[in-house]
Amino acid sequence: MSGLGQEVGVAIVTGLLQGCVYALVALGIVLVFRASGVFNFAQAEFGTTGLFAAYAALTLWGWSYSWAIAFGLAVAVAMGLLTERLVVHPLRNASRVTVLVGTAGVALAAIGIQFWQFNETLIMTMPRIVDSFFLVPVIGAPVTVQQLITLGVLVVASLVLALFFRSPAGLTIQAAQQEPTAAELVGISVRRVSMLTWAMAALLGGLAGILSGPNLTFTAGFLSFGAGRALLPGFMAAVLAGMRSMPGAVAGGLTVGVVEQMGTLSFMIEVPGARAMLLFGFLLVVLMVKPHGIFVPRTAVAA
Amino acid sequence: MSDATRVLPVVTDASAPPATPAATPVVEQPWRPSRGGWVARGVVWTLLGWVVLALPLNVLSPFEVGVTDVDVASLAVIYAIGALSLNVLLGYCGQISLGHQAFVGVGAFASAYIVTNLQLSFFLAVGVAALFGAVQAVLLGAVSLRLTGLYFALVTLAYGSFAQETLFGITSLTGGEGGKPAPRPEFFTSGYRYYYLCLAFLALVLWIDWRLTASKAGRAMAALRENPRVASSYGIDVRAYILVAFAVSGLFAGVAGALVAHHDEVIVPSSFDFRLALLFVLMTVVGGLRSRTGVVLGAIFFALLEEGALVSMFRLEGFFEGLLGLPTEFVSLVVGPVLLVLTLTLYPGGIGQQVAPIRLWLTGHRFDRHAGAVDDVEVNDVRA
Amino acid sequence: MSVLEISNLTIRFGGITALNEVTLRAGEWEIVGIIGPNGAGKTTLFNCITGFYQPTAGRVAYRGTDITGLPVHKRTALGIGRTFQNVGLVKNATVRENLATAQHLQVSYDPWAGIAGGPTTFGEERRIRERSHLILELLDLRHVGEERVADLPYGVLKKVEIAAVLATDPDLLLLDEPGSGMGPEEATALGDTLLELRQQFGLSIVMIDHHVPLVTRVSDYVYCLNFGEVLAEGKPDDVRRHPEVARAYLGTEPETEPEPAPEPVPGPEPDTTPTLVGGAL
Repeated sequence: MSGLGQEVGVAIVTGLLQGCVYALVALGIVLVFRASGVFNFAQAEFGTTGLFAAYAALTLWGWSYSWAIAFGLAVAVAMGLLTERLVVHPLRNASRVTVLVGTAGVALAAIGIQFWQFNETLIMTMPRIVDSFFLVPVIGAPVTVQQLITLGVLVVASLVLALFFRSPAGLTIQAAQQEPTAAELVGISVRRVSMLTWAMAALLGGLAGILSGPNLTFTAGFLSFGAGRALLPGFMAAVLAGMRSMPGAVAGGLTVGVVEQMGTLSFMIEVPGARAMLLFGFLLVVLMVKPHGIFVPRTAVAA
Repeated sequence: MSDATRVLPVVTDASAPPATPAATPVVEQPWRPSRGGWVARGVVWTLLGWVVLALPLNVLSPFEVGVTDVDVASLAVIYAIGALSLNVLLGYCGQISLGHQAFVGVGAFASAYIVTNLQLSFFLAVGVAALFGAVQAVLLGAVSLRLTGLYFALVTLAYGSFAQETLFGITSLTGGEGGKPAPRPEFFTSGYRYYYLCLAFLALVLWIDWRLTASKAGRAMAALRENPRVASSYGIDVRAYILVAFAVSGLFAGVAGALVAHHDEVIVPSSFDFRLALLFVLMTVVGGLRSRTGVVLGAIFFALLEEGALVSMFRLEGFFEGLLGLPTEFVSLVVGPVLLVLTLTLYPGGIGQQVAPIRLWLTGHRFDRHAGAVDDVEVNDVRA
Repeated sequence: MSVLEISNLTIRFGGITALNEVTLRAGEWEIVGIIGPNGAGKTTLFNCITGFYQPTAGRVAYRGTDITGLPVHKRTALGIGRTFQNVGLVKNATVRENLATAQHLQVSYDPWAGIAGGPTTFGEERRIRERSHLILELLDLRHVGEERVADLPYGVLKKVEIAAVLATDPDLLLLDEPGSGMGPEEATALGDTLLELRQQFGLSIVMIDHHVPLVTRVSDYVYCLNFGEVLAEGKPDDVRRHPEVARAYLGTEPETEPEPAPEPVPGPEPDTTPTLVGGAL
């Protein structure tokens, strides 16, 4: 294959795999937005917190990998529930921008605690679940098994979510989200639905963190603005999904991953911060041209 | 009710005297403190003036203030300007900015470039930095006119990282990661003198901020923040005044940027990261949106906390490092967000509300414990 | 020349025609009443006159100039002032602050001069304060001047709203249910106030109200809207006795006394979102 063609091929493969992480984050963002109209800026920090917990369990306390993952996810979920309890619920009557600032506060607090608890080793590494990689035939893109596992988890998570929201329990939740007052009248606890939503979102965030952390070295705030930052790309994926569509969030995540990777092509090498520039430009174009998203099912547009 | 249904003849007698004579307003004598009250206020004012003006020079001072402490004080003053800048957007106009580090950074690099590369005067550089800050803010503001609040927050977030990595990464202009020298102006090279220079700029910014809120632009912003429809029916050009708010905010941020550049004397792009943006949000919200005093105090508080000065001033190292295992440099990272969340959920007036009784007392009013109460931290939601 | 001339105004939201070929005029010094059941399109008509909605077809002219495409604040500058059905005031500000804000266009200094604290701005601000004071005096509202709008009862707010709109120095006043939330005596007093204001400021007034006695007493001419169309127009008494009006609006026979008290907090008419003109609003 020719030079540029191969480069683009590699960028697409890498972008799609990186996009899996964004998609997981975006799914959590969309879940929360559908439930409460909140832009959750703590979504990525659910991931970093889970990652740090798993790291501590695995490398500091010597737990087995599966228990470490379970512990990390549990910590992420606990943080999600705490966020709901301490910030989102008390601010339920405040303006949505206020809640946004509140969730950003949660993210910052989490970062602070990560710095505090792990201040001896500022830069951390964690072994991968399966430490091997291979080259994609023809294109020659390096792919780690860890990334494939992430892809698999994304597929499973999307399927589970799709099935869940078609089940009676899932439909009840959607009803409660759309018509809270009516739901209370027929005896659905809106509060419990809200807790469940935040727990699910935090779980998705935790998965994103625990799966993406081992690919790189990480520091506090890894998923928000560190090396593995997925907050802004996750939000962009959610915007592409019109903030509402689950399949759209997955498609959006993969798209954003690929767009961002175009910044690594060799003719962009002279441009400083090409990835950030592409993301900013892409976001502007999307919001100016298609503010209601691209990957949106027709019914969702009408709603 | 029967008589009300009768159609009365329409009064058209134009020569009738005006219904309500515009009587000379009866002005109730406002409450004034007694002589002793004035003396007490005078003493407190003198103390405040002494802390701000004399303490750094070790005039009549029981402490020894070193040059590093004065540098921290200058930084606090500069942060106050930056926080007032965000307050114009977030507080007065209800527009969120999560990319405020870029606003400040643009000013910083502009000023450093003018002084270092063009060899022009510092004061000209501050002016140009303010202008650059305003221009980039207005460009971003033009985007905000087309978006609702939450989406605009995303744009500012993306803009912040774009500015930090792309704009500030243009090595020929900014020196890249190697840093850009930004020497202090001739007379103000010493930390002490630079402190007073920063104070002078803060005074200027406070003056503008005060006149903004006391003039038609400030009233227009308050109206459009809460209810753009009513604002426009009052004859306010909503879009134009949103842009005015961005311009003023950019001006302040540009000044803050220029001052911070020459304060550090060498600047690198990585110091204008997302954490700085969040720090400004902390300062303004914990300080108390729309409360000028509160925002300034909030900025000073976080600047001192960030630099560790507050911890050492109150000898709290033992508590934080010994008891909690929390190193001083991370105190602000842990304490700040907690204060933010507490402010949002429990004490929406922030520091501004805490000090409102004292502020009113100092300006010759009664001491009222409940002054400055705020219902909630309100940011515009009409467009969100 | 008529102050306000609306010709063949039509507006559709999606498939729904909210106003259909409405033609209406208000002359100099005239008080025009608009009545009609809820959802008849009265407030929508106001939103077209003030520029919040852009009509699908038709024309709005003010003193002979076509203003159909003008943004809201420019229409205010021309002298069109309006009140809102559910109180158009800045709720977290005091009454006085609202009046000062409403005098936005009367302030002579440039906004940037104000921000910079130019020397002329201080005197001008004093003038604004004095003018607010006079308006409050005029409407007998001085005692609520320092109150926060959100803390005041609905009936008082309706009056404060008139004060605020007077502060914008209008020629043409559009009042959306000024009498709602008022008892019969208050409504009578309001009618007197309107007549007085018209005389003192040389205003033309277009007024929506459910309070039929109030409307018929002060209006020179009355339109009755129903389902977005003008059902009847004419002298107040003629319209009141018009058989169609009685059927549509009162739901009963012509001579029965209408229910004088409308609901204190009016149910929302299609006043909110559909196609707000000016993307940012």
